[in-house]
Amino acid sequence: MAKETEIKDPKKRYQSGVIPYKEMGYWRPEYEPKDTDVLCCFRITPQPGVDAEEAAAAVAGESSTATWTVVWTDRLTAADLYRAKAYRVDPVPNTGEGTDTPAQYFSYIAYDIDLFEEGSIANLTASIIGNVFGFKALKALRLEDMRMPVAYLKTFQGPPTGVVVERERLDKFGRPLLGATTKPKLGLSGRNYGRVVYEALKGGLDFVKDDENINSQPFMHWRDRFLYCMEAVNRASAATGEVKGHYMNVTAATMEDMYERAEFAKELGSVIIMIDLIVGYTAIQSMAKWARKNNMILHLHRAGHATYTRQKNHGVSFRVISKWMRMAGVDHIHAGTVVGKLEGDPNMIAGYYNTLTKEYNPQDLQQGIFFDQDWASLNKTMPVASGGIHAGQMHQLLHYLGEDVVLQFGGGTIGHPMGIQAGATANRVALEAMVKARNEGKNIMKEGPDILQKEAKWCTPLKQALDTWKDISFNYESTDTADFVPETSVSG
Amino acid sequence: MIQEVNPEDLPENQEEEQPAEVLPDDTPIDLEEEFKASNVQEVLDKLDQELIGLAPIKQRIREIAALLLVDRARQQMNLTTETPTLHMCFTGNPGTGKTTVAMRMAEILHRLEYVRQGHLVAVTRDDLVGQYIGHTAPKTKEVLKKAMGGVLFIDEAYYLYRPENERDYGQEAIEILLQVMENNRDDLVVILAGYKEKMDRFFQSNPGMRSRIAHHLDFPDYGENELMEIAKMMMRDLNYEFSPEAEEAFREYIQRRMQMPHFANARSVRNAIDRARLRQANRLFAGDTKNLKKQDLKTIEPEDIRASSVFQEGVPDPDPALSQ
Amino acid sequence: MAMTNPGSRITQGTFSFLHDLTDDEIKAQVEYCLSQGWAVNVEFTDDPHPRNTYWEMWGLPMFDVKDPAAILYEVNECRKAFPHHYIRVTGFDSTRGWETPRLSFIVNRPTEEEPGFRLIRTEDEGRTIRYTIQPYVTEEKPENERYR
Repeated sequence: MAKETEIKDPKKRYQSGVIPYKEMGYWRPEYEPKDTDVLCCFRITPQPGVDAEEAAAAVAGESSTATWTVVWTDRLTAADLYRAKAYRVDPVPNTGEGTDTPAQYFSYIAYDIDLFEEGSIANLTASIIGNVFGFKALKALRLEDMRMPVAYLKTFQGPPTGVVVERERLDKFGRPLLGATTKPKLGLSGRNYGRVVYEALKGGLDFVKDDENINSQPFMHWRDRFLYCMEAVNRASAATGEVKGHYMNVTAATMEDMYERAEFAKELGSVIIMIDLIVGYTAIQSMAKWARKNNMILHLHRAGHATYTRQKNHGVSFRVISKWMRMAGVDHIHAGTVVGKLEGDPNMIAGYYNTLTKEYNPQDLQQGIFFDQDWASLNKTMPVASGGIHAGQMHQLLHYLGEDVVLQFGGGTIGHPMGIQAGATANRVALEAMVKARNEGKNIMKEGPDILQKEAKWCTPLKQALDTWKDISFNYESTDTADFVPETSVSG
Repeated sequence: MIQEVNPEDLPENQEEEQPAEVLPDDTPIDLEEEFKASNVQEVLDKLDQELIGLAPIKQRIREIAALLLVDRARQQMNLTTETPTLHMCFTGNPGTGKTTVAMRMAEILHRLEYVRQGHLVAVTRDDLVGQYIGHTAPKTKEVLKKAMGGVLFIDEAYYLYRPENERDYGQEAIEILLQVMENNRDDLVVILAGYKEKMDRFFQSNPGMRSRIAHHLDFPDYGENELMEIAKMMMRDLNYEFSPEAEEAFREYIQRRMQMPHFANARSVRNAIDRARLRQANRLFAGDTKNLKKQDLKTIEPEDIRASSVFQEGVPDPDPALSQ
Repeated sequence: MAMTNPGSRITQGTFSFLHDLTDDEIKAQVEYCLSQGWAVNVEFTDDPHPRNTYWEMWGLPMFDVKDPAAILYEVNECRKAFPHHYIRVTGFDSTRGWETPRLSFIVNRPTEEEPGFRLIRTEDEGRTIRYTIQPYVTEEKPENERYR
């Protein structure tokens, strides 16, 4: 057990001047976290010469009560309670001496629940990632995971609809949902845009989606888009007897604009609206409340996240973003595909999916889950897989991502040689056949390609899709991968 | 856009449509190997261990197992395609092992792949027949559905039929049973059980039911020595033993009890042991409670048996299960 | 007369883009439901509106059955009684966090050519349109007289 370093004598502790964070009480190796504490696991890369415990104490200090020098006003407070406590530091496997990577440490820090305002992601993040990421004594810092106490979770609304009620409302059970993003991203007029939506929905998709940067540009203003898309949605619904939807992107410059657009979508009878992550945590929580009040499914595009989630040594893990977004309250969030064109190690993605969809996450270091997390009956968020995926990968998608996911084939629908409807049909047939085979007990990872070929014998659109994209895969190495191999244990 | 091709029309899906292949007469078959692979011997062994005596019944079970095994081999050789009728009738007095044998039979049928799950659902008239109009059909179907994939054991099946009451709903249950026994032969096996004479009368008035039963097994009553064996086995399982005098007393008990009404073979033995254990506990409490040994807790003494009203008054002890 | 979507049929349920499931295929799906511990029920309707949530129940959900033959038995009983209806099989999961259907697929369709839906548009102010979807079969015929 590491040594206690806190100065206990108040006279010495509160002498004016500068003393190390470790001695101010931010390094507390004997501390046992309470059930009501917020826990964080940071990956820290200290500057040369800074020892790991001091660096961890500094992160605890700078993300809670400390400033660079001793202040006597601490003594007017229950300072010991408010001080975050770094209680554990472990070296990161395969870093430091003998490797190409500078030494990194996982440091565990506990925060008392009273440090945070109830139901506010803005307040939570202002503390946890507010100042500390620019701190000079650290080369780099990454927030790997957080444990939210049940008491704190209960102050958040969570997803307005949730996976269960979304499925009931849409009357769609037992299979992943299918979507597509309208392409080209930019330039289509409202009338042309609606055509894409109609064809894709009639061909067999459940949803079509605005792209993250479709808002209200000169080539297509938002009201026009909404009206044509709703014509497409209703036409397709009548043509198939199925509930259909189009994610209306209401992202805009101000909250007033967003509310106006959301209200209009509701007036037209849309089942779903969408926003982008770049609107900010407060705006997301506002829209979540609006969506709960108006029985609307809320889709979130994670636009901008990779600027801070992708690098392994610095930023915020997408796991943590997933957690915050489930608390803030979104029904859908893009969370990776494993096999598509965007970043995604299978283990890491399993960690995001589990964070979004389970009632309880046990610690799983391989998936980057550092803490047991009880979700306190907060609704589940449906992950969305989007970017460079096609019908020929259906067995892998179902295997890696499971059943509670929206599979979005943008190019894989609209780029079909025989047209958008054919593209949608190919995807739907492939999906249903794969779910059917899985339920029958077949090993789909092994038999998947044969299952698809068998369906392609009678379904020409699927045959064409398989022939067109048969060799397309994106095998680049992921930048964000697990530090732990199965036999590694964190305890000890 | 979807071509109208049925998957069955595709060449690779047509194996089932083709007429069964005729195998040459010298196609080899290793029955011994088939029997080993089915693990049926394990079930027969279990039956031997848990049931004393019953030699004729055990012999019949072996015969039925052999028949089923050969039938399965004949199916593999395309000599037959029909699922054989497997419904059975177990007759005999209470406590002669009908339910136990039925459970093992379900296991054998499962191992030979004649039923898919191998569970046993045991019911009586009350589980099948309703109290009011419209109640019986759903009740009977509910039971049949639970039993599908396994064996339905209907104890005292003749009570389904009550000719003296013309508004009885039992007839409705019988009709549904008959239908399912005929149409869903692949899905479940029905075993009717009860006293021999009553069952014979039931079949006389319900010839349809009789014709659907493939195997009749008549369970004999146990003899005195067999009942003693059963008693000792039960005691062993419970970690009790008779003192030599108590064993003598118990044999005498059985001799007397067998002559009295409502004798229920193994079940009566079980009840007698349960009551003896109760008396033993009372005896230990009434005595020197401070200086007992482990052996005292295990041993049944003659007074624990001779206190029975079988000895005292010449009538069976009041038994909640049999006192109607 | 038939619908114009790719399969010319209503696409509700988990497997509506595949060929009609055979009885053995239905059993395999039911087997999956039972292995997950779900209760399975059979429902029927002749109103195919996508918002028609409450189809008629063919008896209560089957909670304690062990073998898919039991469900197929009820499917066939329902088919005999309602050949001109849609029939679906639904697996219901009672575990905490779900408590909802987990699989639901059509096992009987009322007719070869499904007539589909009329889309009724009512123009409102500001180019807004109100949409109503109406199954052709429900327009004139009452329950139990449709599709024949």
